Amino acid sequence: MSLLKPFSRLTGLNTANILLVENEEQFQQKLADTVVLQEKTVNVNVRLARSLPLPMENEESRPRIDLVVFIIHLTSELSFQSAETSLKYLDPGYFQGKVCFLVTSARNVSVPPERLVSVRTLAASLHCPLLCAEDQTTEGVTTAAHRLLAILKVAAGLVPMATSLYLSTLTRCTVPSDIDQQNFE
Amino acid sequence: MDDSTKRILQRLIRRIPSQMLQTMLGKWAHLSREDLHSLDFTQPKWVLTEQLLALCEENGLRVKHITELEMIYIIENPNQGMWHGFQLLDAEEDAPSIELTQFKKQFKANLTELISNVSIKIKKHTDEAIWIRVAWGDNFTKPNHLKPTYVVHHLQTPYVFVTGLTSKYKPLLNQALVLATRYGSMKDAHLSGRNLTAIRDLLMRQYQQVFPTKNPKPLQEKNPVPRNPNIEKEHAENTENRLQMACEAFGDGTLPQLQKAVYKLETKFRDNSNKTLTDREEPFRGVVEFASTNLLESLRHCVSSGMASTPVTPLLSSITQKGRNYFVITDKGV
Repeated sequence: MSLLKPFSRLTGLNTANILLVENEEQFQQKLADTVVLQEKTVNVNVRLARSLPLPMENEESRPRIDLVVFIIHLTSELSFQSAETSLKYLDPGYFQGKVCFLVTSARNVSVPPERLVSVRTLAASLHCPLLCAEDQTTEGVTTAAHRLLAILKVAAGLVPMATSLYLSTLTRCTVPSDIDQQNFE
Repeated sequence: MDDSTKRILQRLIRRIPSQMLQTMLGKWAHLSREDLHSLDFTQPKWVLTEQLLALCEENGLRVKHITELEMIYIIENPNQGMWHGFQLLDAEEDAPSIELTQFKKQFKANLTELISNVSIKIKKHTDEAIWIRVAWGDNFTKPNHLKPTYVVHHLQTPYVFVTGLTSKYKPLLNQALVLATRYGSMKDAHLSGRNLTAIRDLLMRQYQQVFPTKNPKPLQEKNPVPRNPNIEKEHAENTENRLQMACEAFGDGTLPQLQKAVYKLETKFRDNSNKTLTDREEPFRGVVEFASTNLLESLRHCVSSGMASTPVTPLLSSITQKGRNYFVITDKGV
């Protein structure tokens, strides 16, 4: 199994590499354009993929990936399943703060609520942050890009005194357990 | 003008949208220029209808003139109603050399022989298509001009497009067409749609087709879209392959606008989880229908975005390859 490894390569100076994984390949393009435009101080490289594993041909030219973002559209079950299967191809080293889940259409009425719950349980079990984004307006895309950049800079080691593992303990997704729910105080 | 003629004219004016009315009447050329100027096209339609009726009465216009106007309108706006494609088979030796006057004479003679009370109008359009308007009547009634049949045929091609034909008169029209075009028989091409230009383009392969090549990359002179060097696609080759296969199956650029594809299944039911239905001997009859405002465009997008698996299944690609949108699928094949 060709796993994507987090530390198999040397990092470049003042660069950060982010990998956006999305089954539908729609939102990632807009997000990539915005991310690259927004960031002026750091050299950000965005790689777009549909699913993991990544093709072997790019193995040589691919830089070290600092942050892997799984974009899940809640309107499609296939989106979630594709992200789940792609998770298997990530080296466990990534799950110390270098993986993030980005969810769209969470406020959509026609989306079954169980899907968001299952994404949350997945993110919580992997100790990863879960971001909600709004992909239809430019403000939504800009906001999502801004948040991703914040996490990316920490994951690439460009923020002094902060590591991705430390950040993930603060930002990771939690699912309130049933016991907490029952005790209303 | 008698009542039925008035009614035909009223129906026709109501059908033509107000914006087109002035141009249509101009093309019709049966009203003099002063008469046309006297009409005020900003008025509501019912007022216009009254004025037109009066003008037509003055000029002594009859049914045949009014049907001319209808024909002009339909030729300009052919994409309404349901068009069906037919294919002529077994060409005889002189079929390719049929020319217009011969066809007209033969067709009119044949059809009037088969059914005496018909009204036929034949017109050649600028793009080499022959338009035929037929109003059917039988032995006791006059031709019904409210429900005419329109036929479009391109000479020297074996294709015929028909709209508004009831099954009662279908064999008569078939026979007249077959004899006039010097073919052996006519069969249903199983292609129908609202858009005449679309089904004509599909049947006569007049859309931009893509053929499989060994080196699909375009020439370098074509201006590439300026790509951001910081953004890179991992699966670029896959995407290109998918797009190539989608275009090979369905075509490039603007595709003919089909609305439906119907697959009638007559296959045995096969599902291991449902024993009662699987054990039956008779075929499971089902109909699968794909509907869209532009079906070929949607199917091409499905394949190029990866929603439909590649290589494209022949069930879908035969819509363009065979030029039909009604399929009957049996266990032995399509």
